[in-house]
This record gives sequence, structure tokens and C-alpha cells, in this order.
Amino acid sequence: MKTVSRHPAVLGSAVAALLAVVIYGCADFLEDAAAPQGTLNEQTLANRVGVEGSLIAAYRALDWNTGVGGAWGNAASNWVWGSVTSDDAYKGSEASDQPPINDVEAYHWSTADVESYLTDKWRGTYEGVVRSNAALRLLKQVVSSKPGEIPAADAAGIEGEALFLRAHYHFEAWRMWGNVPYYREDDTDFRKANMPAAQVAAEILKDLDAAIAKLPTTPRNGNVGRATQWTARAYKGRVQVYDGKYADALTTLRAIRASGPYALEASYDRVWTGFQDFSNGKETIWAFQASANDGETNGNNANYGERLNFPHSGSHFGCCGFHQPSQNLVNFFAVDAQGLPLALTDANWNARNSNLTASTLIPVDPRLDWTVGRDGVPYKDWGKHAPDWIRAPAYGGPYSPKKNAHERASGAESTVGWVPTQLNSVNIHLFRYADLLLMLAEAEVESGTLENARTIVNEIRARAGVRAQGPGNDRATIAVPLNDPSINWATYRIGLYTQPWTNQADARTRVRYERRLELAMEGQRFFDLRRWGIAEQTLNAYLSTERSRRLYLAAAEPFATRHRWYPIPAIQIQLSRVGGEDRLRQNPGW
Amino acid sequence: MEKKLSGKHWLHGLRAVGVGLLVTVLSSSALGQRTAVTGTVTSAGGSLLRGVTVRLQGSDTTSVTTNGAGRYTIMAPPDGVLLFTLLGQRPAEVQIGGRRTVDVTMQPMAYLEQVVVTAYSEEQRRADITGAVASVNIETVSRMTTASPLQRIDAAVPGVTVEASGSPGSRSTVRIRGISSFQNNDPLYIVDGTPVQDSYVNWLNPNDIASIQVLKDASAASIYGSRASNGVVIIETTKRGAAGPPRATLRVRTGIASPVRGYDDFLILDALEYFEVVKQSYLNAGYPIDSIPRNVYGDPNNPSVPKYIWPNNCNPNPCSTVNEGSYSFPNNLIMPGSKGTNWWDAVFSPAFVGDYNLDVTGGGADNTYAVSFNYFDQGGTAAYNKFNRGSIRINTGFNRGRLTFGENISFAMDRHTGGIPDDPGGFAEGGILGKNILMQPVVPVRDIAGNFASGKAVGLGNQTNPLKFAWGAKDNVTTNNRLFGNVFAGFNVTPNITLRTTLGFNLGQGSFTGFNPIFPENSEPTFTNSINENSSRFTDWTWSNTARMSRQMDRHNVSLLLGQEANHRTNRFLAAGMSNLINTSVNNRFLQDALGDASTKNVTSIGGESALLSFFGKVDYNFSDRYVVSFTLRQDGSSNLGPDNRWGTFPAVGLGWRITQEPFFNDNKVFSDVMLRFGWGVTGNQAIPSGRIVSQFGGSRGDTYYDIGGTNSSVTAGFRETSLGNRNLKWEENRSTNIGVDMQLFQGKIDVVADFYQRETNNLLFDPPIPATAGIAAPPIVNVGKMQNRGIDFSIGHRASSWAVSFNGSHYRNKIVQIDGVQDFFYGPIATRFGNQVINKVGNPIGSFYGLIADGFFSDDADVAAHADQDGAAPGRIKFRDTNGDGRITLEDRTIIGSPHPDFTAGLDFEMRRGDWDLSTTLFGTFGNDIFDVQKEFYVFRNFSTNVRRDLLEKSWTPTNKNAKYPRLDVNDNYSRAISSFYVEDGSYVRLRNIQLGYSVPPKYLRWIPAARVYLQAENLFTLTGYDGLDPALPAANVVGPAGDIRDQYRGIDRGSYPSNRTFSIGIVTNF
Repeated sequence: MKTVSRHPAVLGSAVAALLAVVIYGCADFLEDAAAPQGTLNEQTLANRVGVEGSLIAAYRALDWNTGVGGAWGNAASNWVWGSVTSDDAYKGSEASDQPPINDVEAYHWSTADVESYLTDKWRGTYEGVVRSNAALRLLKQVVSSKPGEIPAADAAGIEGEALFLRAHYHFEAWRMWGNVPYYREDDTDFRKANMPAAQVAAEILKDLDAAIAKLPTTPRNGNVGRATQWTARAYKGRVQVYDGKYADALTTLRAIRASGPYALEASYDRVWTGFQDFSNGKETIWAFQASANDGETNGNNANYGERLNFPHSGSHFGCCGFHQPSQNLVNFFAVDAQGLPLALTDANWNARNSNLTASTLIPVDPRLDWTVGRDGVPYKDWGKHAPDWIRAPAYGGPYSPKKNAHERASGAESTVGWVPTQLNSVNIHLFRYADLLLMLAEAEVESGTLENARTIVNEIRARAGVRAQGPGNDRATIAVPLNDPSINWATYRIGLYTQPWTNQADARTRVRYERRLELAMEGQRFFDLRRWGIAEQTLNAYLSTERSRRLYLAAAEPFATRHRWYPIPAIQIQLSRVGGEDRLRQNPGW
Repeated sequence: MEKKLSGKHWLHGLRAVGVGLLVTVLSSSALGQRTAVTGTVTSAGGSLLRGVTVRLQGSDTTSVTTNGAGRYTIMAPPDGVLLFTLLGQRPAEVQIGGRRTVDVTMQPMAYLEQVVVTAYSEEQRRADITGAVASVNIETVSRMTTASPLQRIDAAVPGVTVEASGSPGSRSTVRIRGISSFQNNDPLYIVDGTPVQDSYVNWLNPNDIASIQVLKDASAASIYGSRASNGVVIIETTKRGAAGPPRATLRVRTGIASPVRGYDDFLILDALEYFEVVKQSYLNAGYPIDSIPRNVYGDPNNPSVPKYIWPNNCNPNPCSTVNEGSYSFPNNLIMPGSKGTNWWDAVFSPAFVGDYNLDVTGGGADNTYAVSFNYFDQGGTAAYNKFNRGSIRINTGFNRGRLTFGENISFAMDRHTGGIPDDPGGFAEGGILGKNILMQPVVPVRDIAGNFASGKAVGLGNQTNPLKFAWGAKDNVTTNNRLFGNVFAGFNVTPNITLRTTLGFNLGQGSFTGFNPIFPENSEPTFTNSINENSSRFTDWTWSNTARMSRQMDRHNVSLLLGQEANHRTNRFLAAGMSNLINTSVNNRFLQDALGDASTKNVTSIGGESALLSFFGKVDYNFSDRYVVSFTLRQDGSSNLGPDNRWGTFPAVGLGWRITQEPFFNDNKVFSDVMLRFGWGVTGNQAIPSGRIVSQFGGSRGDTYYDIGGTNSSVTAGFRETSLGNRNLKWEENRSTNIGVDMQLFQGKIDVVADFYQRETNNLLFDPPIPATAGIAAPPIVNVGKMQNRGIDFSIGHRASSWAVSFNGSHYRNKIVQIDGVQDFFYGPIATRFGNQVINKVGNPIGSFYGLIADGFFSDDADVAAHADQDGAAPGRIKFRDTNGDGRITLEDRTIIGSPHPDFTAGLDFEMRRGDWDLSTTLFGTFGNDIFDVQKEFYVFRNFSTNVRRDLLEKSWTPTNKNAKYPRLDVNDNYSRAISSFYVEDGSYVRLRNIQLGYSVPPKYLRWIPAARVYLQAENLFTLTGYDGLDPALPAANVVGPAGDIRDQYRGIDRGSYPSNRTFSIGIVTNF
């Protein structure tokens, strides 16, 4: 120490040397600390694994709840947008839970509440588009930079699947908002103007055709969740029907019926089910592949978006009593002596405003008890539905949703997550063969081949008559024949249309009625009413009676022309601004 | 207003005081003998000085003041050192040297010849400072009882605000002169020369602090260049020892804290009273009385508190017979009805606070040391919630010829127990303080078997029992271990040239262990338990090297500082969890396959790394104490920024003119000293997450993985882009201009400091939202925003011989100048259940409240018909203003409806001394700020069937009470609760932060105690406010976005934060 203090120059030089070392190292010093930690980057994913993984992420957005505020507006089943807004269902639960859906139901679509839900749906839908396009871009990049990395057949399959997914997500946006922008993989401007609705349909069909050209006829790698050429072809028919192009649809859909791999499930109980051996059966064209107990600790893959739609606290599920079937829907399942819809022949079919509890006096279509939970009737194999399963009967009525519920014996229930009893691995049908057949029947009716439509409707009805809700003591008794002696809660009756169909208008009504009965509570009804052009008359008539049944509906706004499309979320319009001008334009009337 | 103090807590307090006294008494016998020293203090002019504080060095307690004849008497050891201080006079330090009489002549001081630390441990004369630098009065701040020193500087410095919740050990949000950026506005702290960005600073024992300086403008702060754009707080610890034998100071303080206000002050406490609200809501909505749910209260015409609220299987009526014998946990719970549960009382009760400090200081001719020990123990007023800290600090210094070296090291461990976050995030009902407090009064705390109860029956909402929530988290522990300090060496090359090198380090380890129990009693029950655990560590070192030269030539005084600094930070965080533990006792909460459901075990780790490299220089020139000029230049490189834009240059200039030194100002009777200051400078900000230069990809099981194989029980990996990079990231720059004046009037009787400033932030770093069509990947961080703050800070003080008062005030106006060049607004980071209520809009301050304007209530059908078309319009519902005049009430009618920014904040400090008694108080006031009371969603609109305000029934709209406070009770009114000005209230308040009464015990009363000061104090004794909610002193919610801390976009929003504490405490300080 003493030495040092006597020679200040020594210390000074030492300090200077240290400084020099630091300065010398400065370039590396900053550069070395600049790399992100614990993330993947473009290079690490530029290979087969990255491309396949990007495609998987595009599938995942089919029912998507992370990254956006609310899961319910993005549920795969579209229960908020396609069911609660129709005459099938109420929001349910109690008044103060999820009030935004009250506004959706009451057609107050310009409130801040609805805006938040619409934003979720918009974000979820376009996230699907973004992920599909990301897979396409990465595929192109890998194919050109690393030839041979991905076998040609797989490359074509991946491209086809991604194109198909992109078409699907745009279809979702289109049937919600009509006039929406279309994004392809080379787009870099994310503030594109919306396209007129008719043109969007053409773009969707263009992508579907491209997908059909690339896709294999069976699922790639045997993964049943993947789209095939048949999926894309079926979907094309659906888009054509939605687009009112019945003649085109007829061609597309007839070909699928004639030579496609699809068929109706043997009985109706196998359509919506948690039994793994029934899932992805021959009726499944396209489903969200739910999975439970897959290592995801919140149950995010186990139908998070549907989780509110279970009976409430008196039941096994515990919560939350949303998406309750309407009195109107329950009444609609009543049948006449021939087992045909009572509504066809009895103008008073909707007169009942009392709880339709277990009763053998009122014959009903057996599909009622696969669609609606009602008091005194077994709820799959969970025991009989009881009044205390209902959260607030004065508010949401006495019925529970049923299709999305799993069977106890199926083991489809989650063991993790917030209230795991409401999470399950029941696949959510996005498009099933009965839906396709009924669209074909529509097309047949519109082209005047009414008897073809009758054949299809009878095929659907025959299947519906195979099995009804049974006592549900075990797996074997969940579904039993309609005449099973154990059934003492209902009289199930379903008849075929035995007389030839000669009147187009009648045929149209019958097909439409059948579609409602078959697909009730599946998130389709509202979109069907709208594309048929009868939403205004049907829903206003529905409201006029339902107002006295559910008092809160008194505040509902009449369904009007502007409800043709949902309003585009205002925030997205604002975010589309370029140079002071909003590129996205709001839908008419909003 | 007052809560009953539980006897238990008082006993704690008394016991602690007793122990403290005992320690004092025992130790005092070991002291050297003290004798009375007397003397007279005179001014240079010969007059007797009154009010001079005479202190024994190394003692905070032994102090007296001179009387009118300038005389004092003090007990002191013969080898002691006396310190004489009086404002306007140069402090004097005199060795007693065995004398019995010590007379002193004090020299007048040129303006505030106080020395402050401003840059790299540079001690600067106050007179040479041209920037806006404020010194905190350490005596004032040491009066507060909070864990963090930061919370104690609120009200103490003009232009500085501090927000914190009443939760023990809570975060302090310190803001200096408004808000400069959309995110990351915490100032830079320099603790003993080592920079640190940490808004808890709980590891720092407040009693160790010797001084706090706040550098408010760029001309002062730019020497710290990078990271200085939000201002700099320089904290110097102890009290380095003075030469002499070891001297010890013991400080013991204990007290009792209780919430300033409880929800039980204004929510319904009686079950039947609550049912009246429900009943009226149904009747008003047009429901027949018979349709009102009767499962709880029975016949609505004659309601009664039911014997049981659950089971209610006897729907629709309450069960008349329930077999209590069938009770089983958790599947068959039976809950009794309660006449009225006071949920606030169930959770909140007075809590104990204890603070114990022992310092030992001393040194020899060429060394000094200071060692301090602290144990701090603060109970939370909420159940099962507390904070403890133990810390040790060692500061030593050695001189060896021209070489000095030493170190400052502190080691602290703190533990935070309980499940209550410091400040609310997410939905308001998420925590104990939020909606859980809004449980209905009919719900009991416990069921018939003593297990926790909840509102399980239909109509009782879907809350969680708040006490259960707290109980479930009672063994949740957050720990934080910190080793912080520096080692340094200095060398005086010549008397005028000094080299110094300092290696500062900040090493931390943290952990959390948490548990979530099952909630079978809930309306939305859960039967899954889980644990989660995390562990973090970080290393942050800073090496700085400086060379300092100074030269005095005649009246020219020049000094030069040159330096270089490198900083490197790494952190790593590991989190894991598992569900369905077989045994949930604390001893079994471990992440092992056998202890729970192994398939739910998951683990994640993340990390970050960043570095800064800097070069800087500063020149100060002073001519005859009349003209002062300083020039600073700093260059910083940051690894967080784009490779081509890594380096930023931050210049600053300061000019000072001591106008009273000019000949024409000689002998002015009014102005004794006036200095005009001007400062301009640029500071930087690069506080964004590291690695945002490039796009990042990732994924997770619940987001990108998918069961493509249709197995229903397994998923295949998927990836997506998670954040968008920007290679052009560059420094955010803050240009500030400051004009100030320091004045002493009437020979120093009054001193005034006033500053006017403008701060402009350019190239503001943030992540403006992008259209959803671009996906949900975090938007790129860009440099396009601009923000401006303008304001004024001032303080006025007067010190008389036996009392002193100072008042400080500040005002700022924040304005967003530009967002991304195209958008003119974006919404705040979190919404209420009913929508966004915050907007950041060009031309308006950050975090403005946004919504419809509530124009009273519809008075009748004619009023409804005459008004613009409004969803759900009906008499008694809120009427919203058609601001755009299109005849319809839509989202387009939303407008700015309030601002969380105050027009004016002020602090008032008063102290007086009378003989052995002293009294001091601190008042804080904020004026003109609004509060958005989200809790109205619940306690007014009864969302989720929560409890409501007691005045709701009486003050709601009815056809006969149209001049109402609340809209009509109506169970179907989903419309009035739209986000509107109805939620906005004036948040102004004035609060007595502190009042302390002290007594310096004369030796004659206590034979064995040479010196002791005892005091009694109360904090937050009263609050004057018009705010209707719990506590207007709201901490900013804890909100973090992908690009950093964005709490400044979410201020002044009441979503149920932990209320401030009213603390009564007693303390003693003694030396030996």
C-alpha cells in the first residue's frame, strides 16, 4: 500500500489500463447482452418441425381463449352469436352475470359491452387467419431454402390444410360481419379496407378450391383432426349454400353424398358425446378436437369457451347455467300423432309457458332430451335434472343445455382448472354430416327436386328415432330404444314424411323445421334465419311472446335491417386508420 | 370511525416498549459518565443567538436549544463533540475536551451552504447547483412507519408524489414532475452511488438513510443520462462513523395500525335490510311480488332470515327441515342464515407494527465504521397478512495517505406473508379487498361445522368468502433476499485531482410459495387444490470510474468530472405448479409426483439479460459565487436498442446568477440572497424488456397446442409469433427546461424555492396497439410517441427559534402530443366488466377517464320520448348525453369524463419545540383529481348480487324522489351501469399524515438513562374528503404490458385497494 501511495503514476496507469480494457470490450459488451432469452426465433423454426407446428397453432384457434379478454365470444360452438341471438336459447344464468351477452341477446349491439365481445370474436377469428398465413409463409420459405426438408406430398398437404383453415376463419368473419377484409399470406398491410360481402364469399371459395387441389383424401399422418380434400369440398358446399348459390351447392353436395366418406352416426346420442370411441365418427366432417387432462393445467383445451353452459350448483357440474334453451325451443319439439312437428299443423304449438317437466302426456321428438335438460328427465348419466340445477329460474327459465355436456361414464371430464367439472373433451362440431345433408335438402328444395329433399329429411328423422335418452344408470343405459320400458318421463315419437312433397313452400318449411330440430343449440340457428331472410319476422315474433315469459326481454330492441350484420368493432375501425382515414367501414346502420 | 383495538395488540405494543426500556436501562449503566456542559452561542456580530440546536455528535436524542439569552445546557461526556446548527449560520462542530463551559461564535452562511450529493458521490455546495434539486428533510421522513423509505418522502418534496397501498411492504409508486412516458416511469435510484431501479426498496432500512436528494430536471439529472428521464433519487446511507469510541443508538418503535375506513362504514350490514333492496328491484322491474325468489328469505311479503341458506333444495322455498346430521365436508355442506355478517370486521382488524434498530458507529484517525441492525415487523390489517424484514448494514472507510477505500454493504431479508397483492390488478372482485368484501350480509362466515361458508344458494352471488380467501393464502410466503452495496477506492493524485473507482452490486434472490384450497362452499365451487411456487434471482453490477479535477484561480473556480460506467444485468425466473395434492398441509406442499396429480405438474423458466455502457463528463465553473455555469455530456449505449441506434448522447447546461452578489443589490433589506437558475438538458430512457429488437416466437399447451390426432387427451406442439421485433429501436429522449429561483428573505427568516419547468418526451418507447388483423403477437415497440409536462414546484419555509413551518406545492399538466402519428388515441390497459373507462388521447393527459356523460335520470315517459334514442331508456334510469347530437346514444357519444391528475398537490410541515417537548405534524393535500369508482358496479349496480351501499334504498330514484343520488332500483336495468361520469367522483383530500409529540427526558428524572427521547405519534389521523368510497389515497393498479409497467395508464381507479392505515405508535430513542 505504501508503495502504491508513493507512486501515484502507477495507480493512475493501472486505472487507465482498466478503462482501456473496458472500452476495448465495449462492442461485445453490449452485443453479448442483446439476444432475447428463452424464445424461439425465425431461424429456429425454419424447418419441418416449425412449419408443422405453425399449422397446429392455426388449428388451435378454432376455439380460442388465451390472449383475448373473454373466452365466451370465441367459443367454437358460437353459442353467443349463433344461438343466444336466435329463438333457440336465452343467455341464461342470472341477470348480472356476463351482462354483455344480455345486450347481444336483446339486439343492443352497439353498446360498449357488446363491443368488447365483438372485439374478442374479431381478434380470435383474425388470429386464426394470421396463424394460417404464418404457416403458409414459413412453408414457402422452407421449401425454397431447404429443398427436401419437407416431402412434396406433405408440403402440398400442409398448404392445403392452411388454405382450408384460412377459408374457414374468413367464413366465420363473413357470416358475422359480411363485409370483411380478406388476408392472404403475402399481405403486409394489415389496414386493408373491407370487401363487399359477396366478394368475400368468392375469395373463400377461391381458397377452398386451392385447398381441394392440394389436400389428400384421407387425413395426413392419420390425424383425424386434419382437414382432407373431402372436408374442403363439403365446406365449399356450405359456403355456396350460405352464399345462396343453390345450383352450385347442389352439384357439390350431391357429389359428396354420392361418393364421400361421410354417413350419419347410428344414433343421435353418438353425435355429441364424450366417449372417445364415438368421437370423430363418420358424421364428423370438421370438429374442434377438444382434449382434457393433456398436461395443460388450466383446462384450456377442454372446451373453455363452452364451460359456462352447464347446469348450476345443484348438479354435478356446479356452474354456471348459461345458454339456457328457450321455452319456444322446447315447445318446438312437441309432435303430433304422426310424430311430425306440431308446429307444422298447430298454430298454437308455442302456447305453453309452463315448465315442460317429465311427462308422458305430451309426445315429443326424442331429440328434445338430447338437446335440453329438463326436470325429471335423466341428464345423460348424471341423474335426473332437478329444479335446483337451475341458477335463477325466474330469470333464465327452467331448462339446461345438454349437447356439450359429457357423460359421466365417458371420463371426458377435466381434473384441473377452475371448476374442472365444466371442462371436458367433447368435440365441438363445426360441420357435421347431418348439417350438410340438410343443406343439400335445402338446395334440392330450391331446385324443385322436392322428393330428394324428403328422402334426406326422412333419413335424418329415421336416425333420430333410433335411440332416446335412457335411465342413464351406466354407459349401456344412457341411450335406449324409444319404446324401452324404462322410459317413464316422456313419450318419444318421431315419424317420417310418408306423403310425397309436392309444394315447394311446404317442403322448404319442413326442411327448415328439421334443421332447427336437428341442430338446435349448436350455434347455427341465427345464421340460418339470417341467410333464409326470415330473421326479422321470426325473431320479432319470438320476442313478442317471449317478452312476457322472460321479463328482461321487454327491453329488447326489435330485430331490424341493420341486424343483417354484426357491427364491426369500433376499435378495429379506428385501428385501421391510415392518414386520417378509416380503411374499415362500419356495416350499414351501425 | 374508530375500530376497537384488540387487547392482544396493545399487549404486544406494551411488551415491546417494555423490552425497549429494559434494554435502555440495562445498557445505560455501562455508559461513560456524562456531565452538564453549558455555554453561550453568539453570532459573528456579537449578538446572542436564540434557537440554536445543540446536539451531541453521534446522538439523535441528546439535543437542546439555546434560550433567549443564547444559553444552553447539555449532558455530554467530556470527550464528546457538540454540533451547533441554526439556519443561516454555518454549522459549528466543537470538541468538549473536558470543559464544563463551551462558548461558541457562529459564522453567517452564504446562501444555503449546505452540501448535497448530486453526481457520482460528488459533494456540491447548494449554492453551486443550477438544476432543480430538492433535499428531503430526513427528520420529517423518519417519522413515518412504512417499510419502504420511498413511501416516506410523499408530501416532503414539491413535485414528487408517492402512492402506496396500506398493505405491509407494499410497492411505492414514485413520480417526479408528472409522467413522461406511457410506461416505465419509475425514477432511477442511486443508493450510495449504485444505480438501481426498484420501486419496493424494502431491503433498505429507512433508519440507515442519511440524506435523500431528488434531481428533478435534466440539467441536474443528465449526468446519470440513461434511465434518468423520470428523475433521479439519490439516497446516501449513514452516518459514517465519526472518530471516537463506539457509540450506539437504539431506536424502538411499536404501534397499532387500523384501516382508515372500512366498507362496513357504508355497506348494508343487516340481512333483511338487504332483502328490501332486492325486493324493490324486482317490484320496480314489474315482477309480481310472488315471482321474487323465495329460496332464501321465504315469503317476500313477510321475509325472514332463514335458519339455513344452504342446502336450498326445497326450491322455491327455504327448507324448513334440514338434517344437520347429513352434513359432510366437502360434498354436503349446510350453512346457516346470518342476521347480518359484518364482512369487513371478519377480515380486518388492528395490526401491530414494530421497528427495532441498533446502530454502532465509531472510528479512528484513519478509519470509520458504522454498523446497523434492523428488524421490522408490520402486521397487515387484513387477516393472515404481514411483512417482516431483518437487515444488517456495514459501512466502513479507510484512509491511507492519499488513498481511501471502503465499502457499503447491506444484507436484507424480507418475508411477506398472506395472499393479498399490494395493489389491485385484473377485475376489481379478484381479491380480498374487492368484491369479496361485497358478500351479502345473510351469508355466514362459517357453516354449521365451522368450515368456511359462502353464498352458495341461488341469488347470493358467486363470491368467495374473503376470510377463506385470506386463510387459504395464510402460508403463502414471498421472500426477498438482497445483497446490495459497493466497494470503492479513491486516490488523490494531487490535492486537486482525484480518481475513484466503485463497483456496485445488487444481487437478489426471491421466492414465492402459494396454495389454492378447494372452495366447495362457493356458488361456483371448486374441488381442485393446487400449489404454485417460484424462484427468481438476479445479478446487477455497475462499475464506475471517475476522475475529478478542480482548480481555483482568484475568483474563478473550475471543476471537471470525467467518467466511465458499465452496467450489466441478468435475471432468471423459475415457476412451477401442481394440482390435486393428496395432503394439503404446509409440510406437504412440494412439487413431487407422489404428492399430487403428477400429470398436472408444470414448470416454466424465463430470463433476461441487458447491458449499458456509458461515458460522461461535467464541467462546473463558478465566478465569485456570482455566476455559475455547468455543462454535462453523457453518452450511453444500451443492449436493449437496435444495433445502429444503441448510442445516445445526453447534453445539459445549467446557468446560475446570484443576483444578490451584484453591487446594485448590496444591503437589500428584503432579499438576503437570490439566485436565478436556468437549466436545459436531455435525458434518456431505455426501460423496455430486453431482446425486443427481433421478433420472438413461442407457444404453450393452452394457446398453440392442439389435439390433431383426435385423442381427446393429448396435444401436439404448435408455435406462433409471440412478439414483433423492431431493429430500429432507439433511445427515448426527454428534453427538459427549468427556470428557478432560490431566495432568502429578511436575513434568512424566510426561504423560498420556486421552479417552472417544461419536459418534452420524444421518441417515446411504447407499443401502440395494432389492428387485430395483424394477430395477437405483442405489437412492436416503436419510438413515435410524444408527451409533454409543464408545471411549477415551490416551497416556502420559515424557521423561528422555537418553531418552523414549511409549505410546498406543485402543479403539473400532462399532455399526450402524439401517439403513433396516425391514431389519436388508444384505450387503457384494463377494462371494467362493462367496458373500457380509460383513454390515452392526443391533447389530453395520460389515463383520462372516458365514457358517457350521465345527465341525471329520466324523469318520466315524456322525458324518455323527448331524449335521444337510448338503449333501455326508462324513468329513473340514467340519462346519457347525446354529445354528438345524432339523436342516438351510442359509443360515439363517449367523451373525456375526468382526469386522475391533480391540479395541485401540497405538503405542510410544522414543528415546534418548547423546553423538553417537541411537536411536529405533516399534512398532505391533493386537489382537483378525479377517481373512477369501479366498485359502483357492485355496491350501486349490484352486479353479481353483491352487497350494496346502505343509502341505496333511501337515495335511489322513485317517482316521488326524483332528485336522487342513484338510479331506480331495477333488476332488469342493465343500461344505467354503462361506463359514464356516474362513476367519477372528485378525489381531492387533505390528510394529516403524521403528528408526533416528543419529550426529551431530562436526566434528573431517570437516574440511569443519560439521554432518551420518547414520543407518541399518529399517522393518517384524519382525512378530509368528499370521496364516497373507501380511501381516496389510491395506489396505481399493478398493470404490466408486454413492453413494461403501464400503471400510469390506469391511475385514480378504485378497484378495491388495501386502504391506508391509521397508525398510533410510541417510540424511544436512546444513546449509549
